[in-house]
Amino acid sequence: MTLALQYRRLVLRRTVLFAALVLALIVSLLLDLAAGPANLDLAHIIAGLWQPESMELRYRIILFDVRLPDALIALAVGAALGLAGIETQTVLNNPLASPFTLGVSSFAALGASIAIVFAPSFPWLDDTFLLPLCALSFALASGLVVLFFSQAMGGSRENVVLFGIALFFLGEALTAAMQYIGSAEAVQDIVFWNIGNLTKAGWPEVAIVTTCFLVILPFSLRHVWVLTLLRAGEAHAGSLGLNLNRVRFWVILRVSILAAFAVCFVGVIGFVGLIGPHVARLLLGEDHRLLVPGSALCAALILSLASVLSKTLLPGVIIPVGILTALIGVPLFILLIINQKRTH
Amino acid sequence: MLQIQGINVHYGRRQRLFDVTLPVLEDGDILGLLGPNAAGKSTLMKALSGTHAYQGNILYKGKAQGQYGPSAWAKDVAYMPQSPPQESALLPFELLWSAARALKLALTDAELRALIESLLNRLGLAEVALAPMHSLSGGKRQLVGLALALIRNPRLLLLDEPTSALDLHWRMVVLDWVRERIDHQGGIAIAALHDLDLAARYCNKLALLDRGRLVAAGPTEAVLTADVLARVFNVDVHVEKGILGHPLVQVLRPQLAPKSSLTALTSPSCSIK
Ligand SMILES: Nc1ncnc2c1ncn2[C@@H]1O[C@H](COP(=O)(O)OP(=O)(O)OP(=O)(O)O)[C@@H](O)[C@H]1O
Ligand SMILES: [Mg+2]
Repeated sequence: MTLALQYRRLVLRRTVLFAALVLALIVSLLLDLAAGPANLDLAHIIAGLWQPESMELRYRIILFDVRLPDALIALAVGAALGLAGIETQTVLNNPLASPFTLGVSSFAALGASIAIVFAPSFPWLDDTFLLPLCALSFALASGLVVLFFSQAMGGSRENVVLFGIALFFLGEALTAAMQYIGSAEAVQDIVFWNIGNLTKAGWPEVAIVTTCFLVILPFSLRHVWVLTLLRAGEAHAGSLGLNLNRVRFWVILRVSILAAFAVCFVGVIGFVGLIGPHVARLLLGEDHRLLVPGSALCAALILSLASVLSKTLLPGVIIPVGILTALIGVPLFILLIINQKRTH
Repeated sequence: MLQIQGINVHYGRRQRLFDVTLPVLEDGDILGLLGPNAAGKSTLMKALSGTHAYQGNILYKGKAQGQYGPSAWAKDVAYMPQSPPQESALLPFELLWSAARALKLALTDAELRALIESLLNRLGLAEVALAPMHSLSGGKRQLVGLALALIRNPRLLLLDEPTSALDLHWRMVVLDWVRERIDHQGGIAIAALHDLDLAARYCNKLALLDRGRLVAAGPTEAVLTADVLARVFNVDVHVEKGILGHPLVQVLRPQLAPKSSLTALTSPSCSIK
């Protein structure tokens, strides 16, 4: 069998896997829609999606105003974190990196806690709007600080990681300070926000996160060749005349934006941006043409499944999804590490 | 024609190359870059490849390197770094494919497929073309690095220890191929080497670096002398004419006495052009 033919088979196999993942995503979305307190089974849901008018008003409201935005935000946030995750890991050449390596998550939490603590002093401000805005702007600011400081120091990936970690701890410390000065109620809200929770999202949030993802994806796809080459190491990628500092600049800018939008409405949902890329790499290989969209897909699938579990694990209780992603993420991560060790 | 004059390179504040000037290289030349560990061979290669800043002049076909722009330079100049591509799940085939596309080589998919296939066959990589890089042996990975360098059909080859991990057969095959390319298609190659036998066999010019300075440069026979080698490498050697016609260096023993003070060797037959 010729090499070209073998390669075509490999690509075919991966494409089939990709398609299977898309299918799994659709199934998971439907399960997510069917899961929850009200008595709405899968057949009912599918019929309702097909012909909304056929549905009783009360169910229609549950489906379209509660379940659908919650289920879709899981996909959008997961996809954004997965995309950000694969780009961070590749460009920092570090399998342990995640979008939150840039300190974005801890600064989002800081922004949120500032909003939570000080909102009562400004009663005329609408805090459903204020909180995400604060989280978003603090998260973006931290990403930009990492970006500009690391570029000013020469733009190497070590600098990015070092500044990111420094900002991460700064954000943690300041958030702790906010908790210290906040009321007991505020502290509870801050902690809850930090866990990550999908159930408060509505259609505008879905639209915003989805738009962010869809706007950034094409720019990521334009870098797929360079990203693939970076897997051979920076010396070899650089030997092809590519300006790696510039690539890093754009990637980190994209990651900051994606991560900031991903967390600002739903809180810090850990592990998805770390695990998604690993699962995708395992299934789809290192060719970033498939891996970049594949990583978004896998992370979206993982978060969607976590969302299903969060509603079905304990009858009548919705566990915050952030707890589940961590609980699933940790063993999965260890499994991946063991598996990697074995193949190496 | 390639002129390399007065190159100074710093890492941070530390200077590691001092005013290095190499012989002028013409089409068909293969220059061997020799010197002890940490002499600055790789550093010079990085400067030539355009991946590290330097002061000095690098003139290629009469035009300064900086005037080419990184992508135009990379299209004409193949640089193979010393360390092979890192271990990852990337497949050699994908690596070469992405490289060709990143370089924007004007090839159709079918042409590129054929090019990669012939390159991999030539370097004995056909069986591992679709095996993850982390499963390849060190030598095979080095060959993948070479394939990556050669994907662009370069006129100038900068090979940093291209054969250091290769077995007896493959180091000959690789350098034979380089020689053949240069003889048939023209172009210039610079190869950093530790193997003096290979250097004598394939290079028509040599340059010897030590601690960041050029110590000797010129035609191969003029540089490979017992005196020069003894001083630079701290070994006692015997040099004779081998049965293939080029100098044969036999290392007798490493010198135990401390290194004699570093002075540039200037004999008339062994000077810098
Ligand atoms: N990235 C770097 N940062 C700082 N110093 C460096 C760096 N790379 C090389 N050096 C220093 O520059 C000097 C020359 O190193 P270089 O790698 O060019 O040596 P070399 O001649 O290629 O040696 P070898 O035969 O071991 O490959 C050494 O002293 C080395 O420590
Ligand atoms: Mg070296």
